[in-house]
Amino acid sequence: MTAIALTQILLNGLALGAAYALIALGFVIVLNAAGAVNFAQGELVMAGGFVSIALAPLIAEATALPGLLLLPLVMGLMGLIGAGFAWIAYFPVRKRHQVAVFVSTIAAGLVLQHLANAVFGAAPRAGPPLISGNGVTVGALSISLQQIAVMICAAVLISGTGLFLGRTQTGRQMRAVAQDPEMAAAIGIRPKRMITLSFALAIALAGAAGLLLSNQFFVSPNDGGLFMLKAYIAVTIGGWGRLDGAVIGALLIGIFETLVAALTSYLVAEALLYALLLIMLVFRPSGLLPERARARV
Amino acid sequence: MPVSDPRSRLALGVAAIALALYALFFAGDYALHVLTRAGIYAIAAIGYQLIFGRLGALSLAQGCFFGLGAYAAGLGALELGLGFPLTLAAGVLLPSLLAALIAIPVLRLASHYFALATLGIAQLALLVATNWTDVTGGANGLYGVPPIETGTLSFGHGLPLTLLVWACVGLALTVSHRMTAGQRGLKVETLREAPLAAAALGIDGSAIRFRFFVASAAFGGLAGALQAHAVGVVSPDVLQFHVLVLILAMTVIGGRASPLGAILGALLLVHLPEWFRDFADYYLVVYGVALLAAIIFLPRGLAGLFGKSKMPPVETADAEAPHDPAPLTLSVETVSKRFGGVTALDGTSLTLAPGEILGLIGPNGSGKTTLVNLLSGIEKPDGGRILLGDADITGKPPEHIARAGLCRSFQHPQIAPDLTVLETVEAIATKGESAQARVIEAGLSTHANERAGTLPPAALKHLEIARALATGASILALDEPAAGMNEVERAALATLLKRLADAGHGILLIDHAMDFLLPLADRVICLSAGRVVAEGSPHEVARDPAAINAYFGESPL
Repeated sequence: MTAIALTQILLNGLALGAAYALIALGFVIVLNAAGAVNFAQGELVMAGGFVSIALAPLIAEATALPGLLLLPLVMGLMGLIGAGFAWIAYFPVRKRHQVAVFVSTIAAGLVLQHLANAVFGAAPRAGPPLISGNGVTVGALSISLQQIAVMICAAVLISGTGLFLGRTQTGRQMRAVAQDPEMAAAIGIRPKRMITLSFALAIALAGAAGLLLSNQFFVSPNDGGLFMLKAYIAVTIGGWGRLDGAVIGALLIGIFETLVAALTSYLVAEALLYALLLIMLVFRPSGLLPERARARV
Repeated sequence: MPVSDPRSRLALGVAAIALALYALFFAGDYALHVLTRAGIYAIAAIGYQLIFGRLGALSLAQGCFFGLGAYAAGLGALELGLGFPLTLAAGVLLPSLLAALIAIPVLRLASHYFALATLGIAQLALLVATNWTDVTGGANGLYGVPPIETGTLSFGHGLPLTLLVWACVGLALTVSHRMTAGQRGLKVETLREAPLAAAALGIDGSAIRFRFFVASAAFGGLAGALQAHAVGVVSPDVLQFHVLVLILAMTVIGGRASPLGAILGALLLVHLPEWFRDFADYYLVVYGVALLAAIIFLPRGLAGLFGKSKMPPVETADAEAPHDPAPLTLSVETVSKRFGGVTALDGTSLTLAPGEILGLIGPNGSGKTTLVNLLSGIEKPDGGRILLGDADITGKPPEHIARAGLCRSFQHPQIAPDLTVLETVEAIATKGESAQARVIEAGLSTHANERAGTLPPAALKHLEIARALATGASILALDEPAAGMNEVERAALATLLKRLADAGHGILLIDHAMDFLLPLADRVICLSAGRVVAEGSPHEVARDPAAINAYFGESPL
């Protein structure tokens, strides 16, 4: 394999990983805020893709940046859906056994999946590109504008999320609730409000990922499961509960998939990923970076 | 709702007769076909209840086991020329073997990792089935799986097939009942709700988890094998995630722990598409909404609507007197334990003789709870020895130590809230132990039929002691049993502990209430920073400068 080919693969992998990173980041935010695995995260990515497709006609074909203009709109809408999601699928069962939350999010994902299927049909559809126009060629390396835009968007959203959670008062309150809801409530933070906000943020990020992935990889109602699995694996690799770990894990998965798929086939890449996951769970179940989520019994 | 109680047995009987009448006289070909499908899924759901409902472990591999059973039966019939019932055996065997193989690494994972690991295995199986074209027929799958025939009898389709499938449902019910009835079921309930306590009370959790996981796979496989014969085709579709979701939905909607509920859920969800045909594509949305509504509004599923029938009240008058314990001496020899850079215990030694109450005091963080954790096997010591009589129990697993005769209570009571007081103790009672006698001994006879979750805190502490006694333990390690109690409750507890010591139990007692502990203890040990700083009679320790300096501040006398 030439250096050019390898660079090309790394670039493709990084673009894919960047979109996965948004999904994984949302997954961890909910995990920390609610102590619950959101099994619908993948379906919410898929929903973000279809929301983009539905809204695309609003933006004139002629604009140079259809997807970029749509992005805030899609994220806003998905954020609202996220808040609703928290109130329908999380709060009613939050006091119960952890498994009840697993099941309620699976059910909510099911509703989204079949709703998309009924409205849009089962066939894969392409979403609007972030930027219209062709790529740049640097020597033998072809870089599509779309890929660059995906990476930049993801980078901006990830660092924006990091800054929001780390530097703003609201972000700090959200983290306080994630760490200890009772203590946070005792010092005047409203846990319910912060948890709702966490869901909204997480699902807005999922929606953004849906838009970013929908042009290059298409979107179909049954895609949710795979997205969820990738985020789940990314978070497990990166250390359960760590935001930075989730992003690193997602980038690793993106590069791994693209690289192995280029060397062998997509199928082998997929199978190898699951096999490696199982091996990791056996020998190092807490992930490659130290675990940070507190145990909720 | 266990099948063992008379009301649900009656309900089961009535339902079975109604179903049989419907199948025999009223159902047309299509209705029989739907009924067969419902029966097949009921078997898978009854199996899923064992791992998901009873043990509370979200296995995402039940669909995978179903699919593997279908492939095993299909390949057995087509490639190996196996006939019925060998194809069904193959369908049961393959997923059971896989489950047994993966059980050891996977079952010890925390709940979310367990879900992920089982999902990963399911995805791998799907990839293999789709792409190992030479064997599995790839995406097209296997065609022409023969119908079930044995000699002159044909169960190919229609009524005979329906009856065969529902006979298998009956078989599944019987096996599941045997695994969950009586004390076994109580043990499983304790294991799910209070895993730490279960181990400390001598329940071998890993053995139960292994058995239930393999059984769930076997039931899933049997259902898949029946499906392969009934439909005649096996395609990768049987391994898709939606099969799992369907089984999960049946279990949740029907009721997590009631086999009757699983059957109800299967009947309902298989018929749902027929009833909601007018909704076309949207019926699947309805099904998602139904699952969501069930988990929110019916935590016990449809079976929960029938309620739990009252257990007969306990006769407390003529219960036999509890056994006296075997006299055992506990010796702790220079035990140490470090957590990272923190030394929690530093060469601590003590002995506890039969019939003795040994008070263990010390400031918070001095290593008291760590010592109890080491004694009960929840943590392993870094150095030193722990002897129980002549037996070395150093570093042994908790269930081993409990059976050897040392049992502990927890600072925060670990109980299964839905079990009654008597059931809680029955779950633990070893051979020859009478749960009733222990309940009476602990002064809980008036609470015997109340749910443990509704008990006041003081009664819960007594329940923990009754449960520990029911293991037949000679030595009790009690971690702050009087915390949160008022004067009257403390006096009652003190009387109980005195009586137990008189009967021959050695009691290691941790508490911060000196007016409770000092009059009760025969000897007192004061720990500070993991070391014994004072030891002797309560009088001596209370005046010991080291103990005053480390713990009391001023002498309590």
